[in-house]
Amino acid sequence: MKPEHHAIVDDLIALLTKTLDRPQAVSAETALIGDLGLESIQVIEYLCEVEDHFDLAIDEDTLADVNTVGDLAGVVGRLLDR
Amino acid sequence: MSLSERFRAAAATRDLLAALPVNPTDIVIDEVVSATEAMIHGRRTIMAGTNNYLGLTFDPQCIEAGQRALAEAGTGTTGSRMANGTYRAHLELEQELAAFFDMPHAMVFSTGYAANLGSLVALLGEGDAVLLDSEAHASLFDGCRMSGADIFRFKHNDPDGLAKRLRRLGERARDALIVVEGLYSIRGDCAPLAEYAAIKAEHGGYLFVDEAHSLGVFGEHGRGLAEAEGVLEQTDFVVGTFSKSLGSIGGFCASRHAELGLFRYASRPYIFTASPCPSVIATTREALRQVTRRPELRTRVWHNAHRLYGALQRLGLQLGPHVSPVVGVSFSERTVALRCWQSLLEDGVYTNLILPPAAPEGGSLIRVSVTAAHDDAQVDAIAAAFEQAVRRHLPGCAA
Repeated sequence: MKPEHHAIVDDLIALLTKTLDRPQAVSAETALIGDLGLESIQVIEYLCEVEDHFDLAIDEDTLADVNTVGDLAGVVGRLLDR
Repeated sequence: MSLSERFRAAAATRDLLAALPVNPTDIVIDEVVSATEAMIHGRRTIMAGTNNYLGLTFDPQCIEAGQRALAEAGTGTTGSRMANGTYRAHLELEQELAAFFDMPHAMVFSTGYAANLGSLVALLGEGDAVLLDSEAHASLFDGCRMSGADIFRFKHNDPDGLAKRLRRLGERARDALIVVEGLYSIRGDCAPLAEYAAIKAEHGGYLFVDEAHSLGVFGEHGRGLAEAEGVLEQTDFVVGTFSKSLGSIGGFCASRHAELGLFRYASRPYIFTASPCPSVIATTREALRQVTRRPELRTRVWHNAHRLYGALQRLGLQLGPHVSPVVGVSFSERTVALRCWQSLLEDGVYTNLILPPAAPEGGSLIRVSVTAAHDDAQVDAIAAAFEQAVRRHLPGCAA
């Protein structure tokens, strides 16, 4: 059964917390690049973790409009629907 | 968007670098003394941050070949390979490259960047899937991006990650392109090519290996890491550059697939640029002959690689996982990396400083490389300069 949006957000935040060098407050509104100081390579590694966690293949174009954790949860939700 | 807005990020990067005591992107080589030394800031400096792995840039036979071609065929071709830019020598180099890799087909491009871009845009299109190592060179990423294919990244040197992604692609995996490098140029670590080849055999797809930094260095015949790992047969496309071990400029793609010949009609980076000039083709051909004729160059560069890696390891520095002619020294603090790099330069050793975002995992690195032309005394001088840098700026280390 597909998880609810808020459950996907919770999972994404948990995975993101593992990626961060130091503890930071993260919510659905947190911008992946702008707010957390992540380098692009760290974002790629994080997305690999997300793919493995949800057993999904996410191509880079799909992420073009992704800015926040909530946006990413939307993409994950849509891919889980397929 | 105004021009000033468009370049805001670039200007910020420039200002950041300009604020450093010595700007690592602004080093000018005033005079090249030899394959291993140059004059920088008025000082004779050992070059330990090049890609001249076989040390051939001052080889007398390469120079003579270049001079002869310059005199006989002129300074440039002034045209595309598809028009007036295909000379007999271009075709002969392609035949020699094919023979070198023991593959039926090879194509020459004007730069290594163009070889990657040109090969990937020919091989991929919208709707195709490409699996790309997360630390793959910018030219590989740009080629994948330019092709319009769906890009799926997998973690650096992670065969399990690759296998999982191919499995998720289902039927699409059969025609997917797996894009990796042989030797990675920053940390000096090697791709697990044998594991990738096994995964390809299980899931399908084509294996595309960029041997830019491994050509001439790895393998019994110097064909690269795929040869060393025994998987050249399973490698569908080998790309590389002439600007590293071969000491000139240009790039190539070799393959056993006859479709490589059709790249000529499908690859804009091949079609819409001037072909390499005759002297470049001539020095490249001579250098390629030397890769085959002089295996002692490989012996020498590996001797130097082991000597340097061992010395830096004894200093307690954090190094990449594999011994290779490229040694990536990692630093947790960017300022320490910067100070050590500057200390090396002041002590007459040029290395490459890699700061985020260029450094893997967002860290800071000093990239050191050795060549077949360095002698033991120079390698020891590089290690001694590191020891000084560590004493000055990393007091916790073994030195």
